Amino acid sequence: MTLVELVRKNLFRKKLRTTLTIVAIFVAFVIFGVLATFQNAINAGVEVAGADRLITVNKINFTLPMPLAYPTRTAGVAGVKQVAHAEWFGGYYQEPRNFLVAFAVDPKNYLDIYSELILPPAQREAFLREKTSIIVGKASADQYGWKVGDRLPLKSNIYQQKNGSDTWDFTIAGIYTGNDQRVDTTPVIFHYDYLADTRSFGDGTTGWMILKTADAKENPRIMREVDSLFANSAFETETKTEQAFNKAFAEQLGDLGFIVTSVVGAAFVTILLIVGNTMMLTVRERTNEIAVLKTIGFTTRRIFGMVIAESMLLAVIGGLLGIVVAWLISFALAGPLSRFGPVAFSFDTAAFAFVLMALLGLLTGLIPAYRAMNTDIVTAFGRK
Amino acid sequence: MGRTLTQIAAVTAMNLRSLPQRKWTSLATVVAIALVTGVLLAFLAMANGFQATVAGTGSNDVVIALRKGSESEINSTLMREQVLLLQEAPGLAKAADGKPLLSPELYVIVDGIKKSSGLKANLPLRGLGPLANEVRQGIRIVSGRMFQPGTNELVVGRSVSKQFRGFELGAKMRLASQNWVVVGEFDAGGNVFESEIWADVSVLQGLYQRGSTVQTVRARMNDPASLEKIRAFSEADPRLKLDIKAEKEFYSGQSRNIGDLILYLGWPLAIAMSFGALAGALNTMFASVDARAREIATLRAIGFRGTPAFIGTMIESIILAGIGGVVGSLGTYLLFDGISAATLGSNFTQVVFSLKLSWSLVLQGLILSLVIGFAGGVFPAWRAARMPLLAAFKEQ
Amino acid sequence: MSEPLIVLKAVTKRYTRGKQSVPIFERLDMSIPTQDFVAVMGPSGSGKTTLLNLLGGIDKPSGGEIVFDKKRMDNLDESKLAAFRAGNVGFIFQFYNLMPMLTAAQNVELPLLLTKLGPKARSERVKTALEIVGLSDRARHKPSELSGGQQQRVAIARAIVSDPKLLLCDEPTGDLDRETAGEILSMLQTLNRDLGKTIVMVTHDPEAARYAKRTLHLDKGHFSEKDLAA
Repeated sequence: MTLVELVRKNLFRKKLRTTLTIVAIFVAFVIFGVLATFQNAINAGVEVAGADRLITVNKINFTLPMPLAYPTRTAGVAGVKQVAHAEWFGGYYQEPRNFLVAFAVDPKNYLDIYSELILPPAQREAFLREKTSIIVGKASADQYGWKVGDRLPLKSNIYQQKNGSDTWDFTIAGIYTGNDQRVDTTPVIFHYDYLADTRSFGDGTTGWMILKTADAKENPRIMREVDSLFANSAFETETKTEQAFNKAFAEQLGDLGFIVTSVVGAAFVTILLIVGNTMMLTVRERTNEIAVLKTIGFTTRRIFGMVIAESMLLAVIGGLLGIVVAWLISFALAGPLSRFGPVAFSFDTAAFAFVLMALLGLLTGLIPAYRAMNTDIVTAFGRK
Repeated sequence: MGRTLTQIAAVTAMNLRSLPQRKWTSLATVVAIALVTGVLLAFLAMANGFQATVAGTGSNDVVIALRKGSESEINSTLMREQVLLLQEAPGLAKAADGKPLLSPELYVIVDGIKKSSGLKANLPLRGLGPLANEVRQGIRIVSGRMFQPGTNELVVGRSVSKQFRGFELGAKMRLASQNWVVVGEFDAGGNVFESEIWADVSVLQGLYQRGSTVQTVRARMNDPASLEKIRAFSEADPRLKLDIKAEKEFYSGQSRNIGDLILYLGWPLAIAMSFGALAGALNTMFASVDARAREIATLRAIGFRGTPAFIGTMIESIILAGIGGVVGSLGTYLLFDGISAATLGSNFTQVVFSLKLSWSLVLQGLILSLVIGFAGGVFPAWRAARMPLLAAFKEQ
Repeated sequence: MSEPLIVLKAVTKRYTRGKQSVPIFERLDMSIPTQDFVAVMGPSGSGKTTLLNLLGGIDKPSGGEIVFDKKRMDNLDESKLAAFRAGNVGFIFQFYNLMPMLTAAQNVELPLLLTKLGPKARSERVKTALEIVGLSDRARHKPSELSGGQQQRVAIARAIVSDPKLLLCDEPTGDLDRETAGEILSMLQTLNRDLGKTIVMVTHDPEAARYAKRTLHLDKGHFSEKDLAA
């Protein structure tokens, strides 16, 4: 037997009580893990944003268009390496509830700039060659069972074809993946020219531009110069780093950070009380035994350490179980939450969970440990 | 029967009297249950407030026409020809001069800066036709005046001026290289319109290069029954491929998605947390029964039956949980009721709403807390009822 | 008579109850030679247990000196006292005070966790201790599976496993029937005689006291005259 074993044996003496307490901790960590994953999904765009990428949108609001001449003019600004433009299609597959993130882009520049989208070279060539082809992200391909070569009819809730139809027919040229699990692979991407040639309105405009710069340090100057290029026109622009743009976009949903923090906070205060309370009960019941240990020669420090170790063990068992289950749940959530962003359980979440476990163990153990440490042998035995 | 009741009363009183000895344990349980109730009610109040705001928008006397399949105003486009055709629709209310009460409208998005976070958020800028005031009713200018048609003047909803920076009366701003001024603020009875900015539709058409197209048409009907006539009229004409809806129905459809999302988030969270609180309640109640093992066994030994011990323990648990539920409801009411929140609505624009607690929500919260109390009491109560008589004589 | 193991010089002990200071001992002197087996008798409240607590370094005197093996111990701090108890004193209680979740062997092993002994050395010592008390075949039993006498024997094994010089027993047979009590007391005698343990035993049972080499009567904080002469 070792001291660690002694702590473990102490912990599992009241099996029912310990199990219930572990369940409470488990629940709190599941809540934490799932909400953090949800938040990650929303923030993923911010994290994978390239430092050398800028987004230029209509200054009034990013949903408003800009002239198609802008990309060419922007490419002339010193320090801009490459410019792509994209248009929001408002696409859905078969029914409005199968909402799709669909972009009409100038394909070559777009794929060059978004180098995190991985596409086999043959598929890439096929896509660039054929104007009515489309590439789909792996997440969407998996969700709808699409394969390369499939015909894919998409509807738009914004545009109509000149012939009155609201359906565009595409051929899937490729399925792309991300070079990082946080890369969103739900969007589908097709040729801007195809949309421009067929839509009934919107002539000569595009949605926004993506700029690749030679040096991120030059970004502030480039942002100023691009915007001043179009100042006082009917379509003034605003250029931001991709990161700032994505962040602002995520914030629109509401103060999710606040909601997530509050809920996780409430859950943790709850278990802090429950676990702390249980530890207090435990220590009180063991007053006599603690007195015996002290009599045998266990120092107060060692007694203190043993109680803290017990509450730590409790927190770690419940926490680990919770994190594992939250990790499993994150797979189940990947589908339903994909419209918010790529759902993945991150390393940071796990790391933070360990910090929480340590804090929980420490905080819930502190008062009981202090009490145990100060158990007076004389009065403990005098109680009988 | 009477004997049993007396016994129950005696045991319950004994349990409750001994509560102070377990005050920290009991308090921890109460607070844990209060927190669970509070989280649930905060979410329910959020969903309720959102739905009240969105579903409270619109009238059954107003018809809205959108391009078929566009789902929301932002995605819709209507040609001038379609607007003119709609004026001929049957069942529309007429102004004194015989013109149908109809407002062609534009719906574009502008940036606003939230006062709370200092971050940009999408605000709807609506262009109104000249008869818009007769079409919509219940709009009240609370300060300043209505915009003059043909000018760069804006009126803003109360939520906009409350939640976003730079929209107070007289504020100037630049939109697409033109100067604008806020000349009025309006009240719409707390609905979605209060999160909007309004201007003259023809000015916005010019500003946004929309030519003569608009996005939606709203019109006042003689009565709600006219809706079917208008729909039949639209379907009979191939040039009018439109979705025709009553304004009320249009908004209640929109409230469903996000309202449901909040609910689907709130209930599972509350239920998950309940399991945590339940574990705490069970621990507390088991400890309570164990601490009184000797008393319970002694009562049994002198002839009390198991039922009073069972019921007494249940009552203690339910009372603790009930206190937790009440504290949680009260806390939610004090902290959250009436506070404003904003999120993206279906038009990709901000909808400002207030968290709204109602008695039926509080009831749901209380039921949850009592369920925790019941479940947390039943097993310990069972143990109490079956306490072996020997426990009365055991050492310690 | 051999070297004294413990000497009490003018030890005073008072407790404060509320505002009152209740004296237990006033300038108590006492000397316990090595390999002695002393029974301490006296009515409740006479200070028997307090005396035991002072001897074992559980409680501190309000005045005077306590010398153990030529070293003063009344002025040691808390952690030094703990180390003192771990190294020099074995305790045996009336209600055994075994850990319910540990087996007999693990209970005996407890004090060894405080030493630097490795697992192998520890299990050797545990084995020997259980052999001495005649419980080798019950090593894997939990206290709840043992009789009162067996539990007390486990407690004795726990007290001697780290080979302390002094054993302090507080009513060791108070919870046992006459026959079992006899077995336990004979065992203490054996430990005293064969292993050279110095034993101080508090008891109210004259039968039990007969197993000791001498008996001290404590009353109102003083030993009665005849004992001092003995």
